[in-house]
Amino acid sequence: MAKDIVLDVKDLKVEFDTYGGVVKAVRGVDFQVERGKTLGIVGESGCGKSVTMQSIMGLIPMPPGRITSGTAKLDGLELLKVSPEKARSIRGKEIGMIFQDPMSSMNPTMKIGKQIAETLIVHRGYSEEKALNEAKRLLDRTKIPEAHKRASQFPFEFSGGMLQRAIIAMALACKPKLLIADEPTTALDVTIQEQILDLLKELQTEDNMSIIMITHDLGVVARMADQVSVMYAGQVIESGSVDEIFYKSSHPYTIGLRQAMPVNDEQNSTKLIPIEGSPPDLFSPPKACAYYARCPYAMEVCNKQDPSYTMIGETHRAKCWMQDARAPKNDDLHQAHL
Amino acid sequence: MKKYIFSRVVQGILTVFFIATATFFAMHLVPGDPLMDAKAMTPEIRANLEAKYGLDQPVLVQYSTFMKNMLLGDFGISFTQKNRSVNDIISEHFPVSAVLGVLAILYAALGGILWGALTAKYRNKWPDHVIMVLVILGISVPNFVVAAVSQWATVNLNELAGTSILPVAGWGEFSNMILPAMALGLSTMAYLTRLMRNSMLDVGNSDYIRTAKAKGLKASRIFVQHELRNSVLPLITILGPAIAAITTGGFVVEKIFAIPGLGRYFVQAVQQLDYTVIMGLTVFYGAFLVFMVIAVDVIYGLIDPRIRLAK
Repeated sequence: MAKDIVLDVKDLKVEFDTYGGVVKAVRGVDFQVERGKTLGIVGESGCGKSVTMQSIMGLIPMPPGRITSGTAKLDGLELLKVSPEKARSIRGKEIGMIFQDPMSSMNPTMKIGKQIAETLIVHRGYSEEKALNEAKRLLDRTKIPEAHKRASQFPFEFSGGMLQRAIIAMALACKPKLLIADEPTTALDVTIQEQILDLLKELQTEDNMSIIMITHDLGVVARMADQVSVMYAGQVIESGSVDEIFYKSSHPYTIGLRQAMPVNDEQNSTKLIPIEGSPPDLFSPPKACAYYARCPYAMEVCNKQDPSYTMIGETHRAKCWMQDARAPKNDDLHQAHL
Repeated sequence: MKKYIFSRVVQGILTVFFIATATFFAMHLVPGDPLMDAKAMTPEIRANLEAKYGLDQPVLVQYSTFMKNMLLGDFGISFTQKNRSVNDIISEHFPVSAVLGVLAILYAALGGILWGALTAKYRNKWPDHVIMVLVILGISVPNFVVAAVSQWATVNLNELAGTSILPVAGWGEFSNMILPAMALGLSTMAYLTRLMRNSMLDVGNSDYIRTAKAKGLKASRIFVQHELRNSVLPLITILGPAIAAITTGGFVVEKIFAIPGLGRYFVQAVQQLDYTVIMGLTVFYGAFLVFMVIAVDVIYGLIDPRIRLAK
């Protein structure tokens, strides 16, 4: 059965001109998002997750930004080549977006209801009154108590969790095909995180909406994602289904991330193993494998030639010489899964 | 809200009381007295006059008399201008100063917002550079220089045109008000421009503007609905002090443009040690400024909802 792909990104490359030189922030990223499914994108700060999403949204300031290659097709429509005006009409309507810090993501001097209504006025041509009524319904749908009253309050009168609900209501106002959630729970405490993730799942099923969940929290990925792409230094170094990524991690970086994740066991016997070193300088990224300097399994070839993707399963691939057919068998790497 | 305004008014009254007290004693510390300029002064006439004005009483008694009368709204009669009460002087000349001040503030605020927004939009391009150089000029050149230069330029302009485009001095018509209001408001406008520019850049980089863009709003809508209001907030904070600067600056500018405002009487009164006029005008200006600062704070609360409930 052919997969129903909503967003198909191929070979995306983005650069920024800065005073220090050209930063190659995104260096050839591919991923696909299926309709109604969730893609988790994982990686540490500065690995290009957010820049990738902003490029798709047409939110990269150009200059200094520059998309040097790639395609991003939303249901067949090439997002990277549309006019700014068309890109604007897609944002908020076809693609919704929610952000990390709810407290600063809403206009502090505009009532919540009006901020949600704005989207409907712009994209649906609703009258002010109709849009405001719809905004109240949306707030109610994201389980904000007393939505009627809340709609005429200002952001500072909301708690962080409530505000993130309001932002979700705003992002989903026009029933977008795709929701990009850029670390939506990072700024919230754990119990609220849980509620927000539940809410997102529920709304996703109702609207048959796709979600791209950007995060560095593997716990969130495990809960939410169907597919996962792991990014490092502006590239996807491993991607696959959530089970494949967690139980058959094939790139040393993915393994490193998993080992650095706290595990809740009774004996407290599992040690946290941090990944040593820091990511490479993206002003002059390494020609060969970007993870070479930090990789405990590095081989000679890793510093000479950039690895290509090796298919491990039907949807599972990794960009690592260890997975190459010619590589020596490494029990260590296998051990890491246990 | 009512409680807040009430407490601010009480604070304001205290402030005015302190201003009055400090001015009163400072004024009496200055050597000389209001009668020193009078001609044909014999010791007898002097004694009579001192008795008439109460100047023969100890300073503390004078102080309490003054305070009592002030509470009754009576600032007394001028020492140097015959039969003119201070209240008359204020009611006759303050409206002139007020009109000039309001015009200058409007000019400064609108100009500041406009130029500030423009420089922020064209950041690091030539309109930004040009305006920022002018802003530094505007802040550093004192307003009496601006006033004189603008008069000189107007004279030349009128000559060139062969007719009087703008009057160089005087008062009465709206055309009389343009030059002095501009000279008076210029430095405040320059300051507000700088502030507005920074504020616009801050707001432009904020998360909620990113949200607004992600919502697919038009640039014009983002500017009007989201950027402008939030950028103007810091400007309102300094509007109180700006009003003070413009009122005090008004003394000099009024003199240069021969405007029959209150400032001229103030300067004259200080020079002649006209006790009642000095006290009357100081208390009046003090009360006016305190009131303006309270008004600005209340306006701030209306524009920024976060302030409103915090009180």
